[in-house]
Amino acid sequence: MIGRNRSIGRDLRRLLGREAVLDDVATIEAVSRDATPDFSGRPDVVVKPRDTTDVVSVVDYARRRGIPIVPRGAGSNLCAGTVPIRGGIVMSTARMRSIREVAPGEMLAVVEPGVTTAELDESAAAHGLMFAPDPSSRSVATVGGNVATCAGGLRGLKYGNTRHHILGLEVVIGTGEVIRTGGRLAKDVAGYDLTRLMVGSEGTLGVITEVTAALVPKPASSGYGVAYFDDLSAAGAAVDGIITSGIVPATLEFLDSVCISVVEEYAQLGLDTDAGALLLFGDDGHPDAVADTVERMRYLCSASPGAISAVVAPDDRTASALLHARRCSLPALARHGSHTVLEDVSVPRQLIPEAVRRIRAIGHRHDVLIGVFGHAGDGNLHPTVVIDGADSRARERCRLALDEIFRVALDLGGSITGEHGVGAAKLGYLEEQLGSAQVELMRRVKAAFDPCGVMNPGKVGS
Amino acid sequence: MMTGQTAGVPFSEDKLATCISCGFCLPACPTYAMTGDEKSSPRGRINLMRAIQRGDIDIDSAASRDQSSECLGCRACEPVCPAGVEYGHLLEEWRDNSWKGRRTPAAAALARRGAEFGSAIRWLGRRRGAARTRRPSGTDPRHSLMLGCAERVLFPQVSRAAAHVEPNLDVDDNQGCCGALHAHNGDARRGAELARELGDRLPEVIVTTSGGCSAHLAAILGRDRVLEFSEYLLRRPTETDDLADTRRRLNRLEVDGRPARIGLQDSCHARNALGIIEPPRDLIRAIGEFVEVPGAAGCCGAAGTYSLMRPRESKDILARRVEAVVAAEVDILAVLNPGCYRQMASGLKRAKSRIQVLHVAELAELALSEPQQTTL
Repeated sequence: MIGRNRSIGRDLRRLLGREAVLDDVATIEAVSRDATPDFSGRPDVVVKPRDTTDVVSVVDYARRRGIPIVPRGAGSNLCAGTVPIRGGIVMSTARMRSIREVAPGEMLAVVEPGVTTAELDESAAAHGLMFAPDPSSRSVATVGGNVATCAGGLRGLKYGNTRHHILGLEVVIGTGEVIRTGGRLAKDVAGYDLTRLMVGSEGTLGVITEVTAALVPKPASSGYGVAYFDDLSAAGAAVDGIITSGIVPATLEFLDSVCISVVEEYAQLGLDTDAGALLLFGDDGHPDAVADTVERMRYLCSASPGAISAVVAPDDRTASALLHARRCSLPALARHGSHTVLEDVSVPRQLIPEAVRRIRAIGHRHDVLIGVFGHAGDGNLHPTVVIDGADSRARERCRLALDEIFRVALDLGGSITGEHGVGAAKLGYLEEQLGSAQVELMRRVKAAFDPCGVMNPGKVGS
Repeated sequence: MMTGQTAGVPFSEDKLATCISCGFCLPACPTYAMTGDEKSSPRGRINLMRAIQRGDIDIDSAASRDQSSECLGCRACEPVCPAGVEYGHLLEEWRDNSWKGRRTPAAAALARRGAEFGSAIRWLGRRRGAARTRRPSGTDPRHSLMLGCAERVLFPQVSRAAAHVEPNLDVDDNQGCCGALHAHNGDARRGAELARELGDRLPEVIVTTSGGCSAHLAAILGRDRVLEFSEYLLRRPTETDDLADTRRRLNRLEVDGRPARIGLQDSCHARNALGIIEPPRDLIRAIGEFVEVPGAAGCCGAAGTYSLMRPRESKDILARRVEAVVAAEVDILAVLNPGCYRQMASGLKRAKSRIQVLHVAELAELALSEPQQTTL
């Protein structure tokens, strides 16, 4: 192993120069994990290409030698998609950080993959525009990583997720060829939609070296409100009421009773801890329209059976406290044990209450704390299991509980992942959801892009 | 300080386990911003600590020593951490276990030894004109001014200004070191001991003019015993404390007939460990036009002994701060800590800037004196 490491480092230094290649122990340890618990793998070397030419050199070298390449942005993904489980080369996009262009007239931006999602959004904001996908990790996660995982966020119902906002890509595929998919056009149906295929491909087909992102007008204002219900079924009925009334709000987030109490304990926001469910609703757009929509949502919640209370946040301070309640659900839960698994499943929206009921029963059966929060508007749930990591039996119970949660999602016609991805963590469940024909087709698609099988092996398509 | 530590391993297992590897610390870390290498990030360093804890990597190895000293210890990763990792504590354990005996970096050993020369520091402080012992009729609770070691020698005018601005403040010029230099340089035990000695010597509330000392004292003695100087000036007046409403006594500073533009360089430890963000800004707003310099929360690269230990990195980090301050076109840059004072003043001087660096205590003193027009 050491021998291979040394020779890869030496060869890559010859190709890209000394400063682009790192293989010291601190670097190897640093990139041996991402944000997924329980997964790690040491690469042989980390390479930091400057441009597409560098990426091509590395891919050509790796495919000839049969060495795995794992593309890595910020390493913030939650499905072990960036863990180098078979060693090899971690290709960091840390030096490809240029925002090449923001074209307000065409409502698009062209960026290198290492730019963070927040940076892209900020540069769009300077022109009165925004990049709509807003995963919670937006301040650290890179655009390249968000494209590779098709990241979601809190505004999915109204704005969709990453796949709806990517116009074109430059990709170095596993053959070493450079392809440019899509482009700057709003309408373009020439051939297969390889842009969509690349979005969510998790680094298994190629390395994304440039992203053309669609931008939307930045809303002039936003408004929020909060409603409490006896239980999640009542909250679900209110969400139905909102959506069937013709409102497509930017924000519809829920917390279950476990989350309400841990968040209140952690952040003291004055939440109603007797309630069975909390619904955070909000919208963005023209101030008058926002005020009207938020008030209508408040009324629909309060008139819904099982409602305890519903109020509109009177000012920004109250609104940001409400948003904080949703955002700090994970940290608040994480403080209840040394080992936290943030999961991600999605179900048809109307089945959220049923899914949460079953997940709660699983938690009781396996004696693990599970809080559930998520996106009530789009059916994406984040069951979060918290245990004492030093307790090996608790770890086993956690594993069993998660296994059952995935089965619940599939049983309800849902998905094993709404926005975090498959990676190494959920590969074993993929066939159960998609069937063998589709999984086999994915392998053939991967083989077409990556005949040598070096692009992020052990993940989707392997 | 060493609670929770398991025998035979360097780090408190529970504190190391808290990290969920989400990477939220990456954009907050000045050394990661400088290198773009994940090993230079808090998460990367925690992964290294974990390898050390498992026994895969020797704590005395070059990799470990390089990263334990490359970290500024600014703790900018703590407020952004969703999991509440006590990174500053882990760093202290790291240095405690590796910077021992002859393996202590020269600058760290020098700082630790220097801070032990209490009598010399006291003598030098008196010679240089730092604040002298006095015990005014006082307030309830009593407030005593902490005289920092480096500050007494390098910037004696700071404690003098602090005492001048608040006549109710007790001063005891026979006090020793607070131990922060020890704690940050691989000797947490002695650091805690010195903090407790100082806590015994200075009764009730300790008012500090140094962010690093504030955070260390608060960690050992409790947050309720420590007030940073701007917090102290802006505190609510109590019944027995009629001088407290400082804001009313401050004049507004002018430059060329307009309000002085005053920026702030946050003290990392005041901001990241104690959450002191608004008080110094509010104080500046009472005195002139407050200018939020972009990146004010980011470390200036002084970081205690860092500028001696890692001069190249320290200079790179400083250059970014100087650039931001110059671009903000301020007349005065206020600081909360003697280390930042020295670092920013020398950086601005090298950049041939005329921006004047002042500690907030000096700024308050300037605003007390008539006339309002000041020449810079």
